[in-house]
Amino acid sequence: MNIRIIKRSDMPKRQEIIIRIAAVLMSIVFAGLILVIFGLNPLKIFATIIKGSLGTEIRIQQTIIRAIPLTITALGIIVAFKMKFWNIGAEGQITMGAFGATWVALNLPETLPMPVMLLLMMIAAMLCGGIWAFIPAMFKAKMGTNETIFTLMMNYIAIKFVTYLQYGPWMDPNAGGFPKIAKFPANAVLPSVFGINIGWIIMLLFVVFVHIFMNYTKKGYEIAVVGESVETARYAGMNISRIIITAMLISGGMCGIVGMIQSSAIEKTLISNIAGGYGFTAIIPAWLSRLNAVSALIVCLAFAMLIQGGTYLQVSLGISSAVSSIVQGTILFFVLGSEFFLQYKVIFGKKSVKAETEVA
Amino acid sequence: MQQNLAIEMRHITKSFGDIKANDDINLEVLPGEVHALLGENGAGKTTLMNMLSGIYTPDSGEILINGAPVTFHSPADSIRLGIGMIHQHFKLVDVMIAKENIIIGQPSSFFTKGRELAQKVKELSDRYGLDIDPNKKVYDMSVGEKQTLEIIKVLYRGARILILDEPTAVLTPQEITKLFRVINNMKEQGCAVVIITHKLNEVMEISDRVTVLRKGQSIDTVVTKDVNIPSLIEMMVGQKVDLSIHREKTEKVEKILEADGVTVLNAEGKEMLSNVSFTLAGGEILGVAGVANSGQKELCESIAGLVHADKGRIFFEGENIVGKTPRDIIKLGIRMGFIPEDRLGMGLVGSMDIVNNMILKDYQNQPGIRLRKGPCIEKAKKIVAALDIQTPSINTPVKKLSGGNIQKVLLGREIDAAPKVLITAYAVRGLDIGASHKIYDLLNEQKKNGVGILFVGEDLDVLMELCDRIMVLCHGEVTGIVDPSEVTKEDIGLLMTGQKLEKEEAAV
Amino acid sequence: MKKFLAILLALVMVFSFVACGGDENTDEGSDVQVKVGYIFIGPINDGGFTQAMYEGAVASKEHFAGKMDFIYRENVAEDTQEVKSTALNMIDEGCNVIIACSFGFGDAMNELSGEYPDITFLHFSGAMKNDTNFDNWFGSMEQARYLTGMAAASVTESNILGYVAAHPYTEVQIGINAFTLGAQAVNPDVEVKVVYINTWGDAELEKTGAEQLLDAGADVICYHADSTAAQLAAAERDAWAIGWNYPKNDAGDKYLTAAYWNPEVYFNYALQNIMDGTFVPESYYGTMADGLIAIDEVSEAVPVEVRNQINDIKQQMIDGTFEVFTGPIYYKDGTVLCEEGQTLDRAGIWSITNEIQGVSAI
Repeated sequence: MNIRIIKRSDMPKRQEIIIRIAAVLMSIVFAGLILVIFGLNPLKIFATIIKGSLGTEIRIQQTIIRAIPLTITALGIIVAFKMKFWNIGAEGQITMGAFGATWVALNLPETLPMPVMLLLMMIAAMLCGGIWAFIPAMFKAKMGTNETIFTLMMNYIAIKFVTYLQYGPWMDPNAGGFPKIAKFPANAVLPSVFGINIGWIIMLLFVVFVHIFMNYTKKGYEIAVVGESVETARYAGMNISRIIITAMLISGGMCGIVGMIQSSAIEKTLISNIAGGYGFTAIIPAWLSRLNAVSALIVCLAFAMLIQGGTYLQVSLGISSAVSSIVQGTILFFVLGSEFFLQYKVIFGKKSVKAETEVA
Repeated sequence: MQQNLAIEMRHITKSFGDIKANDDINLEVLPGEVHALLGENGAGKTTLMNMLSGIYTPDSGEILINGAPVTFHSPADSIRLGIGMIHQHFKLVDVMIAKENIIIGQPSSFFTKGRELAQKVKELSDRYGLDIDPNKKVYDMSVGEKQTLEIIKVLYRGARILILDEPTAVLTPQEITKLFRVINNMKEQGCAVVIITHKLNEVMEISDRVTVLRKGQSIDTVVTKDVNIPSLIEMMVGQKVDLSIHREKTEKVEKILEADGVTVLNAEGKEMLSNVSFTLAGGEILGVAGVANSGQKELCESIAGLVHADKGRIFFEGENIVGKTPRDIIKLGIRMGFIPEDRLGMGLVGSMDIVNNMILKDYQNQPGIRLRKGPCIEKAKKIVAALDIQTPSINTPVKKLSGGNIQKVLLGREIDAAPKVLITAYAVRGLDIGASHKIYDLLNEQKKNGVGILFVGEDLDVLMELCDRIMVLCHGEVTGIVDPSEVTKEDIGLLMTGQKLEKEEAAV
Repeated sequence: MKKFLAILLALVMVFSFVACGGDENTDEGSDVQVKVGYIFIGPINDGGFTQAMYEGAVASKEHFAGKMDFIYRENVAEDTQEVKSTALNMIDEGCNVIIACSFGFGDAMNELSGEYPDITFLHFSGAMKNDTNFDNWFGSMEQARYLTGMAAASVTESNILGYVAAHPYTEVQIGINAFTLGAQAVNPDVEVKVVYINTWGDAELEKTGAEQLLDAGADVICYHADSTAAQLAAAERDAWAIGWNYPKNDAGDKYLTAAYWNPEVYFNYALQNIMDGTFVPESYYGTMADGLIAIDEVSEAVPVEVRNQINDIKQQMIDGTFEVFTGPIYYKDGTVLCEEGQTLDRAGIWSITNEIQGVSAI
């Protein structure tokens, strides 16, 4: 049999939706098959994931708490990716943002009013995250270095730096010899609204901000043009270095805010694992949302459900952590795989089907 | 008929979506024949040939090679049957030497038999009059050499049927002569050669028979020596067309742009443009001729401020603009439309629609941080109407438009800004006759309005007819600025390869 | 496309039927008094810390014969959110005791203990506790370290002992110092060389660290990190190895012994207290005496007189007549850690900030 792969040009919305639904169904079927092979009841597993992420008020809260860092990080990544600047350094930018916030929290007086304290922490976090993104951006803009490798490596520097602080100069003398940085004072902890830290409000604000920024501002337009064609941007008289650096400051700044939220609301201190892998995980929803801020929010919520449900799965059914990873992986595989079918068409057999490419 | 036909394509139909690229096309090519496939852009020439080389499969119809019906599943099938296609964009690996490019992708043993290869290449070169250094790296080659290498590559694979897609588009007149000699040698050896082109004088010069395509249909196949150019045009376009390009007579205003000893170095410090001096007056079209990469890009970019001249000065209305930012230069009224090979690489953003492409040059003059699209929607509508741009809507991504329409969007935007100097590079590359003439008319109109136009072109016939003066570049140096009414095409060809003309003194 | 969708839907339906046939095992009236949720940092078969903890849980379940049950979650990151939601899920599943087996889980336990006063939270390591339902537990690993140091010093020919260590801070330094003191007790000329790899769980680095030490002349390798990579590296180069966390021999004939945790001891103790209603947070510190701290059977490669000596001192430790940190002990920079005639108590031990004389870092 003859198999050919042809790039699609346009696809009706309806067909696009059908493919996406099919992908989700396929993922459920295949994940189910795998679970059956493991001797588990797939429907029970899926029900457990839903129950674990949305079953009770507390679980819904937990799911949203996970969606917050995921979404804001994805938004930060979107700004960079829109420029085709492959920022793989969100993990480090989050870590450095948390570092900045922690420095402020632990060094300014505990008597400072909470809003002032939190605002200063946010500014410090944005600066530190921004600087961490600025360094590779500057090297890319001025010397044409490869940002993928550069940002990736910056992650390790940031994480190792915080590890050093945790085991070294910032170790809390009151922790009884254990490696721990001191807890934040009460005025440096993000308050909660509806049982969830106000990071969720920040998250929604950022969704609106990124949507407007990318679609209705000159800077957002410039970023899109640079991403599409550096030559065209140059030709239009854009200052490319400045655009790259601005975009990365924004991207890194948002990731920095994630660090602030995580350290202030969740850990209430700084730990080396503060980014918790969100910097990498968020790349997937950023991509799945096709770099659209509003879709990113929805995808991230779904992702958070999957993660939170996976946690519950292990606990309630006592199955190995590998199984919930397999379920997550299978679902991702099909959803990401459907992107391929949205862009390409596979033709089986000799029978010629009309191909959809640009007219030669 | 005693002899089998080399190629026979019967009732070929091929659709892309709703568009029929080929509609019931018939083509017959004899062995030992040079067959021209003539038609405007979008007539379906390349689609048809891509089916012959196994890239596409026809929706219906049949293909016979040497009398036997065949079905291609991939280009490999086509190569096996002795069909070789030379594409417009060469498919060579830049960092490899010629020899390596020849054997790449061959299903040979792991170790290449060096001596055998060298011998075979030499044999092929001698037989067809091809000339190539097998150890030269591709990136060191001129366009002509690359093309020669492509030809050797397909011959090495045993091709007896050659398809050349617009082979002369990038060659100098001298290189074209050489190519035609090679084609004639192949013909004598009994090969069938199909040459895709829209240049009529070449059809007349090289081909034995012509098949004319129009809008996806085969109009007719004629013996070349029985027809003339106007009748071919009529078959191509479907109506009688006046193909002469007018050279508008205008009163030359004062010089508006002057370059004085401009030198541009590339990143490695090599001189891409050496000591270039010229003047451009308002109401004048100054042509720039030269083989590809002779410094045209650097010339345009140094004027537009995208690269900084390392030496020399460029005066615009008496003010030196070297060192100004592109944005400042745009504000002064210098506009550039540079059309690179992929048409979209510079000047337009392919995935954005016409409106968003209109914003590109204007948004910086808008106050505040907000992007205002309103005025640009009006402008887009105006340009689409004025230049008769064929597009489903102003919200269609420009990369979905045809080449001519993309060009019109680009030029339309630049002209709309009422520039004083307009730089266009390869403005009609890939456009059909009608679209090209539309562009020439637009430029002439601007010229009448007193705009100084720098026209970087590749078709010498066009340059000779359109331009008031022609500046010839070779290796970044100006080898002559001539008046087209006083020199021949061959003279310009010589200048392009760096040879000085004796009568240059007489030139303007 | 439509046909395809139909098939998919059909498959989903089939699954639902299968699912309906599935059995719902509900808890029928059992006499379980405590249901424990264990949170583990690694996989339960890691041959190290997490395996020790998991097997302790299994043994404890057997010990209580029906009165105790447990669920667990492995591979939980030290991320307070992750730990909290894991614990919350466990509470939802009916757990009334949460045992968090890693230092980084402490903050989550601390927060939850305030919100869930009816649940008891037991956190391994650290110093956090409250007055009612939150305690920390740890042990005097220095005792076992001391004994393994004796074993190591009795077999070395180069008089250089290698120690692959995670991070340079108190807990790790206590172990290094105790090991050194034990070694010096058998062989005063012995030198302990330490490599800090600055991470807990990187087998490749642990292996590299061990190889560095072997290159520096060490012929016994001891470690304070998560995997048994150092053991493997030692055996490969025909050097002696001493295990840690869990009595797992990954070095064959070259395995001397291991210093390890026997957490069943604590689980039985604390859970019994909870069942009896007598649980009071106390910052539990297990020892050789109660059995939380243990040493694996010593290899016969160790001379019999040293083996006897090890057993003697072990007995003295159990009897409470032997203190590991007995003066005079000097830090390697010459300052006094413990005066002559003095011994360090728990607080004194947990104030150690450096390595003692006889230790050098490479």
